[in-house]
Amino acid sequence: MNCELARKNTTLFLYGELSIEEEQTFQDHIEACADCSAAFEAEKRLHTALDQRQVDVDPALLVRCRRDLSQRLESVRPRSGLLDWLARLSDLRIAALAKPAAALALVAVGFFGARLTTPRQPITSARDVAALSSADPSVMRVRYLEPSASGRVQLVVEETRQRTLSGSVNDDQIRRLLLAAARESTDPGLRAESMDMLRSQHASGELRPVLVYALEHDPNPGVRLKALDALKAYGREADVRAALTQVLLTDDNPGVRTQAIDLLVEDKDDSTAGVLQQVVQKDNNSYVRLRCQKALEEMNASVGTF
Amino acid sequence: MNRPSPIDADEAALIRAAQKGDQDAFERLVHAYDRGVLQIAMNLLRSPEDAYDVYQEAFLRVFKSLHQFRLDSSFSTWLYRIVTNLCLDQMRKRKTRREESSVVDTEDGPRDRMDTVAEGREQGDPQRSLMNRQLSLRIEQGLGDLTAKERMVFEMRHYQGMRLRAIGDVLGTSEEAAKMCLFRATQKMRAALGDFV
Repeated sequence: MNCELARKNTTLFLYGELSIEEEQTFQDHIEACADCSAAFEAEKRLHTALDQRQVDVDPALLVRCRRDLSQRLESVRPRSGLLDWLARLSDLRIAALAKPAAALALVAVGFFGARLTTPRQPITSARDVAALSSADPSVMRVRYLEPSASGRVQLVVEETRQRTLSGSVNDDQIRRLLLAAARESTDPGLRAESMDMLRSQHASGELRPVLVYALEHDPNPGVRLKALDALKAYGREADVRAALTQVLLTDDNPGVRTQAIDLLVEDKDDSTAGVLQQVVQKDNNSYVRLRCQKALEEMNASVGTF
Repeated sequence: MNRPSPIDADEAALIRAAQKGDQDAFERLVHAYDRGVLQIAMNLLRSPEDAYDVYQEAFLRVFKSLHQFRLDSSFSTWLYRIVTNLCLDQMRKRKTRREESSVVDTEDGPRDRMDTVAEGREQGDPQRSLMNRQLSLRIEQGLGDLTAKERMVFEMRHYQGMRLRAIGDVLGTSEEAAKMCLFRATQKMRAALGDFV
């Protein structure tokens, strides 16, 4: 490899876009050529500098986008059941001869529709529809409806009721809700923030499994990084080390893998070198491999496996 | 690490359910990708309102065309192709409207672009904070000097971690062409940051 090609490949090497053979040739050249080695170091500094640019999304903007999309989808979503039938009926080009029949059908529909929209009986046994005014903080979604011959209708609704709670993170109820949010919220921002709030709760013993679960299963790399950060306090625990090893070998995000290396190396044990050696051999990201190599060198361990 | 297949089993199940009209499935599909969509739109357009428009239009198009989506192709590639095309349209429109200024539109009114860049751990260190602001400014200027295509390739490779082959698929070009774009973008960013690195 000549210097011109090595300079070109520097970018691809750092992005993990070279084949294994190309990487090997590149590394051989870098070790032998002081100029290209210096250029490589400069390129790494460029990457580090570019990484400092914040790219996180404003949670308020995300919430607004989701809310408005949901409303727009409601307006374009095909209607089903009675509403769909009503819509289709209104679209019909009614022939003059069919007008009386259509008028009768519309009267019947109006009667049935009125029962749907202004029921005289509760839709569910627990709630009167009249109570569901616009001031009601509930969000309801009809999941299923079943009309009966008597003109009544049974609705199955999903209901979300908003309520404001305030208190210390030490309060049992607040802590349990935060733990649930950290694990189950559909909003990754909320999951990450809940973890942050709970970090002071080392003594409770409930947080660590939630963090380990998030590290291994959360689909959002930002949340996994947050979990990793919070797990620094538990770096010596066996379950944490097992999760870190698993993440290092399988997580698809190189940033998460890099952080996992740092945490594993902070409290080395007998298995650490073996895991790092595996990563050096198999990881497709050159930076992750470099971090492992460096960690192995600091441990005076061999880079290769035997 | 590379995913074993373009689409995993859970995602395929979600798409199938959404194609049959399951609203929750579609919502989960949106939530799986929307942060990334907003992030890429925000970074490329640097305007929350333009990013908002791209988000809405992209997912509405997905919703309307989902029944045509074939499960043997990659959902993320399809989605990001829609998003990058919308961003490209916005960037072209903007180019004809005005040169980009250092002022961006926000919900709270116009603000200097650099004021919208969140500060990190350096908050307690004024000197470091100043350095980082200057560095961020250089990065923004450098990104502003990239062509639309270079910008997209660089954004998707450096900040979204996408492979060059996938970027080529998204942009409807070859891996080699995406590679060349990345080279040019990196060279320009190196020149823009100059003495900072």
